[in-house]
Amino acid sequence: MLRAKWWKILSFVLLLYTCTYGFIVQVPKLDDRMQQSIRNFFFHVPMWFGMMILLLVSLIYAVKYLRNANPIHDIYSYSFASMGLVYGTLGIITGAVWANYQWGSPWVGDPKQNGAAIALLIYFAYFVLRGSLVDMEKRARLSAVYNIFSFFMLFPTLWILPRLTESLHPGGQGSEGNPGINGKDMTASMRTVFYPAVIGWTLLGVWIATINIRIQILKLKKEGFL
Amino acid sequence: MIQLLQTANNNSIMVQDGKIYLVMTIVSIILIGLFIYVASVDKKISNLEK
Repeated sequence: MLRAKWWKILSFVLLLYTCTYGFIVQVPKLDDRMQQSIRNFFFHVPMWFGMMILLLVSLIYAVKYLRNANPIHDIYSYSFASMGLVYGTLGIITGAVWANYQWGSPWVGDPKQNGAAIALLIYFAYFVLRGSLVDMEKRARLSAVYNIFSFFMLFPTLWILPRLTESLHPGGQGSEGNPGINGKDMTASMRTVFYPAVIGWTLLGVWIATINIRIQILKLKKEGFL
Repeated sequence: MIQLLQTANNNSIMVQDGKIYLVMTIVSIILIGLFIYVASVDKKISNLEK
C-alpha cells in the first residue's frame, strides 16, 4: 500500500482536474461579495476535510499502538497527525485570507474560526509532548493517549460549539445547523469538482504522510530499533 | 523574444474571460511541479529502502 502507485496517480489526476475545471465550472452567484471566490470551496474546504480524515487515521493508529505497542504504529500515528496539522494550518491561513475580503478582517472571531484555532493548538501540544520525551516507548505511549484526547476535542471545537451560535460561515445562520458549509450553496456542477477535490487533496496528504512514515522507519532501522 | 510571446498570445485563449485561463495554467504548472518533486522524493526513499 505504501509503495502502490495507482492512488498517487489518481491524486494527481483529480487535483489537475480540480485546478483546471475548478476555474471554469459554472458557479452560482450567491451575493455581490462572494462572486467567484466561492471557487475556494475546491481548495479551502478540502483542507479541512483532508485534515479530519488524516487525523482520524492518526487516531486509529494511536489506538492500535496502545493495543500492541508496535513502534511502527506510533510512526504511522505521528506522520498522519503532522500531515493533518499541515492541512489544518493551510486551512486556517487560506481561511484568514478569504475572510479578509469576504468578512472585512482576517480574524473576525467567528465561532468556527476560533474553534478551529483551539483544535489546532490542542494538536500542536501533541508535538510539544513528543518533543519533550526522550524514551521512545514512553513517548509513543503518552502521545498515543494524548492523540486520542486531542482527536475527541475536535468534537466540541469543530463539530458542536460552532453549531450552537451564529456563524459567518455558510450554513451558520440560525438553525441551519452546519457551521462549515451550506450544502444548498453548492450546485450539482460544483459538486462534480468538490468531491474529486476532497479525494484528491486527501490522497496527496496521505502520500506525503507515507513518505514521512518511510523516512521514520528507515531512521529506526538505522538506529537499530527495528 | 518577449515581443514575440506577446504577439503570439494576443488573440489566444489566454486573454479571454478576464485571463482566468492564465491563472489556471499557472496553478497547473505549480501543481505539476509539486507532484514531480514529491514523486522524486518518493523514488529516493524507495532506493534507500532497497
